[in-house]
Amino acid sequence: MFSLALKNILFYKGRSITTFILTFLSTILFVVYVSMMDGSHKSMLENTLKIYTGAIEIYHKDYRDIGGNEYLIQDVKSITDKLSHVDGVEAFTTRYETYGLLSSHENSAASLIAGIEPDSEKMISSIADALKEGEFLSHNSGNCLYMGSGLVKKLKLNLGSEVAFVGAASDNSFAADIFKVCGIFKTGSFEFDLSSAFVSRSYFDKLMLAQNKASYITVKVDNLENVDAINKKIVQTLDSEKLESLTWKTLMKTMVEAMEVDSIFNYISLSLFLIVIFFVIMIYGFINVSSRIKEFGVLRCIGLSNVNIFSLLFYEIFILSTLAIFFAAPIAGSICYYYSLNPIVIEGIAEMYKDYGLISDEIPLNFDILTIIWNLAFIYGLNFLSILYPYFYINSFRPIEATKHV
Amino acid sequence: MFRLILKIAWKNSFARPSRTILLVVMIAVSMSMMLGIQGLYDGMVKNMADKNKRSDSGDISIFAKDYRINRDIRYRIKNAELIQKELKNTEDVEAVVLRISADGLASTARKSSFAQIRGIDLQAEENFGAFSEFLKSGKIEFGKRGAIVGIELAKTLKLKVGSKVVFSTQDSNGEINSMAFKVKAIVQTTNIVLDTSAIYINLEKLRTFLGLTPHEATQIALKSENKKLSEKLKSKYSSFDVKSFFELQPMMKMMEDMMVIFNSITFFIVMSVVFVGIFGVMYVSVLDRIREFGIMLSIGMQYKYIRLQIFLEAIVVGLLGFLSGAVLGLVLLIYLKDYGLDFSAFADALEMWGYETIIYGTIKLSYFTTTFFAIMSASVLSVLIPLRKIKKLNPIEVIKADK
Repeated sequence: MFSLALKNILFYKGRSITTFILTFLSTILFVVYVSMMDGSHKSMLENTLKIYTGAIEIYHKDYRDIGGNEYLIQDVKSITDKLSHVDGVEAFTTRYETYGLLSSHENSAASLIAGIEPDSEKMISSIADALKEGEFLSHNSGNCLYMGSGLVKKLKLNLGSEVAFVGAASDNSFAADIFKVCGIFKTGSFEFDLSSAFVSRSYFDKLMLAQNKASYITVKVDNLENVDAINKKIVQTLDSEKLESLTWKTLMKTMVEAMEVDSIFNYISLSLFLIVIFFVIMIYGFINVSSRIKEFGVLRCIGLSNVNIFSLLFYEIFILSTLAIFFAAPIAGSICYYYSLNPIVIEGIAEMYKDYGLISDEIPLNFDILTIIWNLAFIYGLNFLSILYPYFYINSFRPIEATKHV
Repeated sequence: MFRLILKIAWKNSFARPSRTILLVVMIAVSMSMMLGIQGLYDGMVKNMADKNKRSDSGDISIFAKDYRINRDIRYRIKNAELIQKELKNTEDVEAVVLRISADGLASTARKSSFAQIRGIDLQAEENFGAFSEFLKSGKIEFGKRGAIVGIELAKTLKLKVGSKVVFSTQDSNGEINSMAFKVKAIVQTTNIVLDTSAIYINLEKLRTFLGLTPHEATQIALKSENKKLSEKLKSKYSSFDVKSFFELQPMMKMMEDMMVIFNSITFFIVMSVVFVGIFGVMYVSVLDRIREFGIMLSIGMQYKYIRLQIFLEAIVVGLLGFLSGAVLGLVLLIYLKDYGLDFSAFADALEMWGYETIIYGTIKLSYFTTTFFAIMSASVLSVLIPLRKIKKLNPIEVIKADK
């Protein structure tokens, strides 16, 4: 049957070439499209994780849902001591966050003000790397404020300017102080740069009465793929009903969901192309089969079974699909690989979509062998489906009737 | 003669019914899916643009110079009420509203977040953009100390209808002032900035709170279908910052442009593949009947009539495909327009990104006209190569040859 299928392919060149080209194009389209979609999603997640949100964050229960100073983590030291013994935890840092009003001589703005541990923060997030002017904080930087570029602009400040802070301390008392702008950062995240400022915890804790307290503890893991397993170990090690340890999948649930929705829309668009291509392959298969009804009748008359006929059609599409995929897969894979290393750059897209959290003009493709394999398998499956109707059509003729078909 | 040829073409179109039906189904399915996708994407952007206009910018907005850069109430329009009156009397202006906005800090007993307080006149907003349609929970009213809050801000601050919230900001004299409100309603405008930060209160109350006079405002928004009005107002109010919707919302313009590009590429690819499908069927259909055409030529039928017959066959198949696709597509579009696609399972994400949980489609006549021309062109073009083959025929040889 295999050699007969091969002969048919060579004989019916028009159909073979069309099926080959369509399968070839749809394979490249599908693999590159999925790679681009996954790549842009992965890049958005990674950029967000890199800026400030940790792979794992430990909170006092209800801090996220209800909030308030009674849900701050107490006795932070004992927790961080335990964390340092958990396998897979590469680094961690504690943060004390509050919202307050920052005022310059001319303007006021609401801002997130976070007390951070500068040395360990450098290992966790990229806020130190985002330095634009001045310097990052150090343990002894006192009342130095490390501010987002957007916020600096909004308050019309410069390096060295003084900023008044008004907020509430950890015991709900009134807290106010004068800070000095020592460093300005720009992460590229519009919202973050417009509304965040950092102070060294050694100074901020005294002002906020937050010694040995934290809003949460951020953890960096050695391998993001193992985040669930490491989180499980953290939960076991902490063994506390008052605490909850959450991975980025929970922390960034809305972003993950948004990407799922985006994927749904992308697959809807992609399905249109694939369905049209599927129909054309099926039509060409059908035309091919319908012009060979006599031939199939003869084959059936000389003793070939339905299974043999199916095998013949199967081998024909198998050979054509395999050939097309054999040529398309390395090309599609190379495109994905190249653009995963050298992302596509669309100038101005980050600025345009800043409200949507886009922070880079670069759109990298995702190169993942497993994803490419399932993409190829899908195209294979689609091509095999296209022979079903022609097969049932041929079977609807009785052998004698088929031999007389005009 | 034409009627006879049309009759032959019609009958020949169904000489191989399975093949024709398969082709018609292919055209119908691909066309209806394409129309559905176009309608859904266009509807999504149109809906966002419409709600952005209604909730914020209108078709044109007027600000004091430098206000949009500094977001500071020092840069306000002093004679806003006078300008509003002038605009109301301007031809083509449907509605005008005044608004005051100031950035500050919103706090509850447990949470704080940045917020933007917006002074609005509820009745005027209702006339301007049917503000009550944005309601998600509660009742659209301010009462004595009431406020209406954007849905994402409500989530951030864990606010519900009845919750108390304090807003602090700098007034027109540079002093820090605070004001407490009770949440009366939660709204979703699908304008990300407003949904994540807006606290709406009574316009007059905000004027008093910020120390502004009754004639002042930070924004004058107006509704008008006249596309040229923006340029007219720019020269009339040259001392102000007059901006059209797309100037204020360049992202919307880019989204619309991207949708046009995306839809055009989709259209081109789908129609190209459809062309390949029609070509395959028509080519085989002509080859199957090559002896028949040979005989027709031998008995004296002119080539132009055979050409007409084949064109008509292609047009009949294309037309049937188009009509089936148009009916299917229209049903799909009507469904999407009336019921939409329900993404409630992803409500948090969609609301965060400024989309509604049910995404509705839109219907444009252009979807059908452009597809009609594309399918008809694909059908006619698909028979050009088979026709060349017939033109080169030697009738005697063809009749003699075994098919």
